[in-house]
Amino acid sequence: MIMYYLKWPLLFIACFILQTSFIPSLAVFGVKPDLLMIILFFFSIRYGVMPGLLMGFMLGLTQDLYTPALLGQNALTKTIVGACIGLFNEKVMRTDPFVKSIILFVMFLVNDAFFMLVLVLKNNAHFSILAPELIIKTVPRALYSVLLAALFYVWEFFPKHSGRNY
Amino acid sequence: MHWIIRFIVYHRNLTWLAVTVCLCLMMLTSNTTRQSRISRALTFTVFYPFQFYVSQTARIKNIFAENRKLKEEIAAQSVTISLLKEAALETGRLEALLQLENDITYDLSVARVVAREPAYISRSVVITVGTDNDVMPFMPAINSRGVVGKVIQSTRHMALVQLLIDPSNRTGVLIQRTREVGILETENGDDFFIRCRTHADVNPGDTVVTSGLGGVYPKGLTVGVISKIRENHDPLFKKVVVDLSVDFNRLEEVFVMRVHSQWSSFRAEIDSLERAR
Repeated sequence: MIMYYLKWPLLFIACFILQTSFIPSLAVFGVKPDLLMIILFFFSIRYGVMPGLLMGFMLGLTQDLYTPALLGQNALTKTIVGACIGLFNEKVMRTDPFVKSIILFVMFLVNDAFFMLVLVLKNNAHFSILAPELIIKTVPRALYSVLLAALFYVWEFFPKHSGRNY
Repeated sequence: MHWIIRFIVYHRNLTWLAVTVCLCLMMLTSNTTRQSRISRALTFTVFYPFQFYVSQTARIKNIFAENRKLKEEIAAQSVTISLLKEAALETGRLEALLQLENDITYDLSVARVVAREPAYISRSVVITVGTDNDVMPFMPAINSRGVVGKVIQSTRHMALVQLLIDPSNRTGVLIQRTREVGILETENGDDFFIRCRTHADVNPGDTVVTSGLGGVYPKGLTVGVISKIRENHDPLFKKVVVDLSVDFNRLEEVFVMRVHSQWSSFRAEIDSLERAR
């Protein structure tokens, strides 16, 4: 029973530690997958809007503790993304893994768009940098992360089907 | 009153979203210096032991390639060292002639990077030296290629380094060939530029070094190389694009220069200003 409640917080802490220490060594041409977004996606899509946005807020706030200047930046983006993913709650609508991958990809764009928007507003930079940033940085990162997330589905999908064959 | 409660009950998700977004905006707009300092210290205490051991495991993977690369680098460095020794002797002779005195004395502390900011842009890293190694805030961090950033917070066994790629960071630099002074800026943590006078003599390929004017970095540390010059409609200034020497995606070790910045003597005054803000 205790493990039922502790499962997700422990998973988040583990992912956070991996993201800060191990994941940078998986970088391909400087592109790193975002484990925190993946885990937030799985959580929000399973539990819905409110748990999604609260977990997004907590996760973003923890990320912000590493930021030298802007406290609240990641909290804001992750809250919005957590709530958005929660709209596609599995209990409300059934979606296949392919559609989920597209949702995750779009959520990366949403996350980074808000992140850059705050950065632009805070630093009085020009808005024209937003679109190139999203194309050059976010798209490769999102694709890499979606690929990693797809592995979870493969892992979940195969044992069930091999089980039916026996 | 009832309709407010009914609204909150019926639109719980919307209410929570509004509350959390408002909280985030409050944090973004408020003075968070002290608040973030405390919360960072808490995070370090909770996460640091785990991060240290996980990063140790990740290092094993690269150890053979790193060894081979280091051997190659040592060979190249030994040639450079012999050339530099010659140059140092020459400089010493010239300084003695000019009766110049080198006013910067420092030691280097080697530190490993154990954690990076897990965000869209990694603006800070956590390193394995702290106040026990005499590492204090405002000390510059460098590696073999050039300036990495500056220490902004240190605890007993670790320190937080704000990287040069942080868009909120401004670094005083000068162009080595022409001694043109400027400020290194970035809007996205990726493209770096200096605003120079329109008629300033700058060319692609010129080396950019720290100017020593900011009070944190000693003069002459390599920052990068000018890659191109953007002409714009501004009659006074032109944008000089700089490629940084340090590869911030492959940051594994840094050296903290234990040099006391010019700010350290004003520390009490800075703290009182921060409190008053």
